[in-house]
Amino acid sequence: MTRHSRIRAEFTAAWHAFLRRRTAVFFTFFFPAIIVVIFGALVQTQPTGGGLFAEPRAYYIAGYLSVVVLFTPLSRVGSTVARYRSGSRFEKLATTPLSRGEWLLAQSLVNVVVIGIAAGLLLILSVLVTNTTLPLNLTTLFIIPFIILGVVLFCGVGAIIGRVAGSQDGVIAASNAIALPLLFLSETFVTPSLLPVWFRPVLGLSPLTYIARGIRSVTYLEATTAPLGNLGVVTVIAIIAFLAGTRAVPQTD
Amino acid sequence: MTAALVAENVYKSYGDVRALDGVSLSVDAGEMFGLVGPNGAGKTTLVRALTGTTTVRGQLSIRGVTPTKLDKSQVGVLPQSFTPPGRLTAHELIEYYAGLYDDTRDPATVLDDVGLSGDSTTQWYETLSGGQQRRVCVAIALINDPAVLFLDEPTTGIDPAGRRSLWSLLETLAAGGTTVFLTSHSMTEVERLADRVGFLNDGQLLTIGDPQSLIDTHAGENKLIIETETALDSTAFSSLSFDIQTSVSGTRTVVKSVGPRDIGDIIDAVDMTTVTVESLTWKQPDLEDVYLALAGETLNPSRTTKTSNSNEDTAPRIDDVNTGGNVMSQTAITTTTEESDQ
Repeated sequence: MTRHSRIRAEFTAAWHAFLRRRTAVFFTFFFPAIIVVIFGALVQTQPTGGGLFAEPRAYYIAGYLSVVVLFTPLSRVGSTVARYRSGSRFEKLATTPLSRGEWLLAQSLVNVVVIGIAAGLLLILSVLVTNTTLPLNLTTLFIIPFIILGVVLFCGVGAIIGRVAGSQDGVIAASNAIALPLLFLSETFVTPSLLPVWFRPVLGLSPLTYIARGIRSVTYLEATTAPLGNLGVVTVIAIIAFLAGTRAVPQTD
Repeated sequence: MTAALVAENVYKSYGDVRALDGVSLSVDAGEMFGLVGPNGAGKTTLVRALTGTTTVRGQLSIRGVTPTKLDKSQVGVLPQSFTPPGRLTAHELIEYYAGLYDDTRDPATVLDDVGLSGDSTTQWYETLSGGQQRRVCVAIALINDPAVLFLDEPTTGIDPAGRRSLWSLLETLAAGGTTVFLTSHSMTEVERLADRVGFLNDGQLLTIGDPQSLIDTHAGENKLIIETETALDSTAFSSLSFDIQTSVSGTRTVVKSVGPRDIGDIIDAVDMTTVTVESLTWKQPDLEDVYLALAGETLNPSRTTKTSNSNEDTAPRIDDVNTGGNVMSQTAITTTTEESDQ
């Protein structure tokens, strides 16, 4: 009960703090919208069937969702850590009963809600703007654990970035440096067939690959992988990343 | 009386800089302890050490327990540069930090105690004035009704009336048994509040004592400060029937060890010159004088002279006095010259 009330207090404060930064709110939800418009509507497949977006539209839903699962928590938690450090908030929190794990869990929950809403918006836009057919059955609900675990995973990574980078500028630079390669080398928009054969095993090193594969397995009828295996991998990596992120949250100088 | 805080041989270095150099102190339960010292003396590092937010070499305990293992609900901390989330209201911030503890004081009462009520509690923190923001921070430190309270510069930016109301609040808390560890650059604040004061400089605790005993030991004597239109000649006081020690800096003359009954004679002596007196200040030594004496700092570079009006044979001398890095040259007739002790 006590732990629950601490996490709730931290969650409530973080949620209000987020909602009151209008620019952050706007771009958090504008981000998935612009992604769908650009990649789903503007970029056209070549008449011969080739090009960057040559796969059926449903193939890329996993990519769209992966973008928000990757970018938002990484940069939000990273910059939150930097902001808390500069305001001596961790120094203060270290003298309260709130633990580092509870703090990161509360921040992760805020991100789960924010990205959950953004992901829902993105799915609706995908269907409406690009006329994508989304399979609607019970297995489609696997999207939810993939998004939750993906957010937790990248919140943990974001906490590590915040610890290492130190400043908000540093967090933004580091987040971009990590997120952009992951985005294009994780079976999100670029299919493995477009990459050299020798490079393809590297895709397996990216946690985003398993998130993209897992979501694709329930949103794309021609997917070649099953959700459970990917979910297992994502769960393990999310736990490791969360624990590492917890250790990274500053408590002393 | 039981010790609420104990530090024994505490050392901390940042690279080549030694922030704490063998600090030892003990603060009793219910005591209000003031820690003062120049910027970079190690005050904040000591507070961090005592609150378990930095690692140090040495022995530390709060209420008999190592700070890192202490039940966090027993301490309240206001870090020096603490800034809570800016887009929460004062009331939301208090509710937020209250939510981190099992048992807390009533948030509205705590806000009222620090002088915040009405509209100021429903405004975002970032829109409050600097003084109001600091009051919110103090309220946050008090919300869990701590047995030991660490306040690092609690009244920075707060107006005089607000400062006094916060002082009264802290006095009430201490009277109720709360141990208060106060760090401040306001000597007035520390002199009024602290039962004992510790002076930290270059990571070393130079002295500890109650304010009056420190003043008696380190602060020097009473002073009469005479501001004149033009500089006083050092012979101005030669007509006096008693010895005085003067320190002249431009149009400012400081006469040391002046009792209230001697002031009239000194003014009469000045009146006998052609110099116009612009202001007179009789100043008793205070904690600020102790601070300046211990920190080796001076408010004004000045030359000190001792006027002897007894029948001692004193030869005229011309001396250069090096005071705080400033070499001042002045002719002194029928005086002996010594280095300023300020």
